Amino acid sequence: MLTYLKRKGVEVVLAMLPLIIVIVVLQFALVGMPVALFLQFLAGALMAMVGIALFLVGIEAGLLPIGEAIGSHLPGSRSLPFVLAVAFLMGVTATIAEPDVIVLTGQVDSVSGGAISGATLVFVIGIGIGFFVAMAILRIVLGFRMVYLLTASYLLIIILSLFTPAKYVPVAFDAGGVTTGPMTVPIILALGSGFSSVLARRSAISDGFGLIGLASVGPIVAVMIVGMVTG
Amino acid sequence: MTVTIVFGDLWDTLLSVLKALGPLLGVFLVYQGLMLKLPRHYVWGLLKGTLVAVAGLILFLQGVRIAFLPVGEAVGEALGGLSQRWFLVPAGAFLGFLTTWTEPAVRVLCDQVEKASAGVMRKPTVLIAICAGVALFVGLGMARILYGIPLLYIVIPGYAVAVLMMWFSEREYLSVAFDAGGVATGPMAVTFLMALAVGATSATGDLDPIVHGFGLIALIALAPILSVMVLGFIFRLKRLRR
Repeated sequence: MLTYLKRKGVEVVLAMLPLIIVIVVLQFALVGMPVALFLQFLAGALMAMVGIALFLVGIEAGLLPIGEAIGSHLPGSRSLPFVLAVAFLMGVTATIAEPDVIVLTGQVDSVSGGAISGATLVFVIGIGIGFFVAMAILRIVLGFRMVYLLTASYLLIIILSLFTPAKYVPVAFDAGGVTTGPMTVPIILALGSGFSSVLARRSAISDGFGLIGLASVGPIVAVMIVGMVTG
Repeated sequence: MTVTIVFGDLWDTLLSVLKALGPLLGVFLVYQGLMLKLPRHYVWGLLKGTLVAVAGLILFLQGVRIAFLPVGEAVGEALGGLSQRWFLVPAGAFLGFLTTWTEPAVRVLCDQVEKASAGVMRKPTVLIAICAGVALFVGLGMARILYGIPLLYIVIPGYAVAVLMMWFSEREYLSVAFDAGGVATGPMAVTFLMALAVGATSATGDLDPIVHGFGLIALIALAPILSVMVLGFIFRLKRLRR
C-alpha cells in the first residue's frame, strides 16, 4: 500500500498543482484577497491534496473490491426481482446520504418558497435514482442496447423541460449532476463492472459502464415532475 | 486563519461521509456473512482500505470547503469586475479545465476505463477529453451569465445533439461518455466553479445570482457526454484512414 501511496501522491500533486499555481498567480496579478484568506486557501489546498491521495489509495484497497464482490455475486442469485430490488435499494440508500443532495434540497426549498419539503424531495430523488439504476441492471440482464434506454430517457427530459415551470429547470438539471458524488461513483462503477463481468457475452466496458449516466437521469425527471405538480 | 475555520463543520462532513458509506458496508457485511464468506484477513484489509478512503475524503472535502469555496467567489468577482468583461469567457474555460483535472471521481472513472478496456482507451486521453469538454461548456456558462442567455437555449439543443450523436457512437464510448457526465460534477466543480459563477454574476451586477449562478452544473454534466463521444468519432476516423 505504501509504494502505491507514493505513486498516487505524485499523480495527485500533478493533478492539483496547475490549478493552485494559477490561483496564486491570479491572487498577485488581479484578485488581491486578504492575506488571512490566502493563507487559509493554501492550508485547505494542502489538506485537499493529502485527502485525495488517501482517498484514491483507499478506494483501490477497499471500496472497489467490495463493490465488485457484491456486483459479481448478484447475477448468481438467479432471481431477477431480487437482483433488481438490491439494485434499487443501493441506488436509493446511496443517494439519500450523498452530501450534495442535502445542499440541493435546500436550493429547491428556496425556489419553491417552502412548498416542497426537503425530506419529500430527498425521497423523490432517491426513488428516481433507484428506479434508473434498476433499469440499467435490467438492461444488462436482458442485453438490449444502451442507446434505446438513453434515447428514451433524454427525450423524456427534453419534453418534460418544456412543461416545467421555468424556475425549476436549472435546479432540476443541477440535481442530475450533484447526486453522483465521490462516494457513490466508485460503488456504482464497481457494481456495474462486477455484475457484467460474470454474465456471459457482456463486455466489461460497454455493459459495465453507463450506470452513473443513467442514474443521473433519475433526479432530473423527479425534480421536474415535482415542479410541475406544485408549480 | 483560526483553528475553527480549518476544522469547523468537520463533524457534519464526517457524518455525511459515513451516511454515504453505511448502506454499502451494511449490504456487504450481510452478503459476506450469508454468502460470500471471504477469508477474514481479506475482509479486514478491505475494511482498512475503506477507512483510509473515508479519512481521505473527509480531509479532501474539508480542504475544498475552506480553500476553493471562498477563493472561487473572490476570483469570480475580480474577473466579473474587469472592464473587459468578455475575459470571463476564456478565463472560465481555462479554470474549468484545471478544476476537472483535479476532480478525484473523474480519475477513478478514467482508471477503471483503462482497466476495463485493457488499455485501449488510455487514461490521459479520456481525462483530457473530459476536461476539454468541461472547459468549453464553462466558457459557454460564463457567456450565458454575461449576456443573460436562458439555460434552456443551451441545454435543450445540447441534449438533442447528445441523443442524435449516440445513435452513431460506438457502444464503448457511449457508456463511458454518459458516466463521464456524472463524474465531472464532483465536489471541486460544485464548490469552485459554482462559486466562480456566483461571484461573477454578483460582480456583473444586473442579474440575480441565485437564478443565473445555477445551471452551470447542468452544463458541466452535459459537456463530457459530448466530448467523449467526439473522442470516439475521432478514433474511428483514424482507424478508417488506415
